[in-house]
Amino acid sequence: MSLAEPLPEARLRARRWTAMRRYLVLSPPLLWTVVFMFVPYLTLVVYSVWRAEFPLAVPDFQFGNYVTIFTDPQYRNVFLRTLKIASLVSLCALLLAFPYAYFLVFRVRSPGWRLALYMAVVAPLWVSYLLRAYTWKTILGTNGILNSFLISAGLIDEPLTVLLYNQAAMVLTLTYVFIPFMVMPIYAALEKIPPSLHEASADLGEGHLSTFFKVTLPLAMPGVIAGFTMTFCLSFGDFIAPMLVGGPDGQMIAGVIATQFGAALNWPLGSALALTMLVFILVLISASDRLERVGQGRLA
Amino acid sequence: MTIKTRLAGGVASAALALGAAAPAMAEGELNLLTWEGYADPSFIAPFEEATGCTVSATYVGSNDDFAPRLAAGGGVFDLVSPSSDSTAPLITAGFVDPIDTSRLDRWDELYERFRTSEGINSDGQVYGVPYAWGAIAFMYKPDAFETPPRSLDALMDPALEGKVALWDDKSAIYVAARMNGDMDIYNLSDEQIAAAQETLGEMRSNVRKYWSSAGELVDLFASGEVVLSNTWAGYQSALLAEQGIEVVEFIPEENAEGWMDSWMVVSGTPNEDCAYQFLNMAISEAGQCGVASVNGYSVANPVAARECMTPEQFEALHQDDPAYLDSLLLWENLGPRLGAYTNAWNAVKSQ
Repeated sequence: MSLAEPLPEARLRARRWTAMRRYLVLSPPLLWTVVFMFVPYLTLVVYSVWRAEFPLAVPDFQFGNYVTIFTDPQYRNVFLRTLKIASLVSLCALLLAFPYAYFLVFRVRSPGWRLALYMAVVAPLWVSYLLRAYTWKTILGTNGILNSFLISAGLIDEPLTVLLYNQAAMVLTLTYVFIPFMVMPIYAALEKIPPSLHEASADLGEGHLSTFFKVTLPLAMPGVIAGFTMTFCLSFGDFIAPMLVGGPDGQMIAGVIATQFGAALNWPLGSALALTMLVFILVLISASDRLERVGQGRLA
Repeated sequence: MTIKTRLAGGVASAALALGAAAPAMAEGELNLLTWEGYADPSFIAPFEEATGCTVSATYVGSNDDFAPRLAAGGGVFDLVSPSSDSTAPLITAGFVDPIDTSRLDRWDELYERFRTSEGINSDGQVYGVPYAWGAIAFMYKPDAFETPPRSLDALMDPALEGKVALWDDKSAIYVAARMNGDMDIYNLSDEQIAAAQETLGEMRSNVRKYWSSAGELVDLFASGEVVLSNTWAGYQSALLAEQGIEVVEFIPEENAEGWMDSWMVVSGTPNEDCAYQFLNMAISEAGQCGVASVNGYSVANPVAARECMTPEQFEALHQDDPAYLDSLLLWENLGPRLGAYTNAWNAVKSQ
């Protein structure tokens, strides 16, 4: 049919029906997105320019809450602390996950073993996060498993108290909890590397080490970046670990936000904090996305 | 606000003893937003049977849960039981209705200090029915001290490095203010709050953990992490005693805060009759000895307490000693000053 020719009425109606059906099919997820994403975020935005006034908040349009966030040193302190913890967790997870994934993909010959070892990392995800974090309390406590072991082995006389209720315990717990999110993408990236590339590299006279740095690592970078981003974001927003294994200096930003909605009864400030952190994380994710694509583009 | 408690509160929402009442008598269903133990089947089941009102309870982990829960939208709860310092937002925001005390048979038997307390009185009207009370005492492990601590100064003792726990609450500001000699803890000036914040900062090397739920403090003592902390008098020490761990409670020389919980009727409840029947039960022997036995708290009606308690329990819960109650610094609404207190406490935790 040529474009100049007007469509017959019946066909037009059929086409409209098709279009409508498409919307009908899409409407449940669309509705879900609107109701559970747009409306809450919009509420958050609106609240963030309101003013806290006893007992709750009054409508207003001002940016005092944002000014508070950027001028009151307590928010900067907690933000920097959260940044530090999340970075350390991602780094530790990377240093553990990369060798492990590398070992699984290139050293374990039997597919059965490979699957078993892979599942060993992934399976804990099926156990409640709270439970897994709580377990570390029993391990690291003053009368915990680790201290009991060290004492019975004769390595120490007095139980160590530095194991629990501090930032190191938080990094340890979070690393353990989120490491599957690092292993999975790196494993996937390494698995996709054709063995022929390694052979070619060897044929061209490159040693193991330079093959690793010139071939394997660059090709694994998208997985590393994805894993790093995911681990970072998850630990950045965590508030369970500070509560379970953190000490008096363990407060993280998510805990501060929760306080604003509860004890402090300052929803406007809480909303402004939540939005600020949301923007920070979104910038981070889009930066990592770009980085990932640049990496792929170079190698394409 | 603490997250663990909030999580626990969210999942601990439990319906109690449904279907115990004969259908012919059923008058309504009461939904309580309250503390664990305040809707214990031991006294709720007989109430349901006698009145035909069914009761279900959702538990909170902190006083900070009441206002946000009611602010988030209504129609769910009929009765709430906040402490007297957390009632102001509910009253000011109109979340709760005035109480018609003429419908409460035993109103006059309640401690006068509670009946007239600022926390439940506003504009000449009564908004709450006093139910239970207690002190925010301190407790210690006797085997860790040669001379038992008597003063809050013990919190700063260099020998207790990493051995102290403190409640993750604005109550920490009250404690620090008293250490600084500022006894008017509910009307602190900005300078006094700043000084309290500084004191808490200095105390931090001694603090092992800021605890946020009863269970957490019990764990800290049970696993030997800490030897000194503030506590909800009668509650955690009883839980520790069940585990065979000895702790001693004391009221420091700098005095202690006191708390009082009262039942409040949520605005527009369709179950007002049942609500008033519940209130009458709550301040009678059934409710008063119920909560005293389940939670180990002192109760608001000393007349009922004398009727249903053993002399030992009556004495242990200080029901025989009005001077004890009078000596406590009963929690007060901080009103617009709440922000200054919580902000200072958050600043301590963010250091």
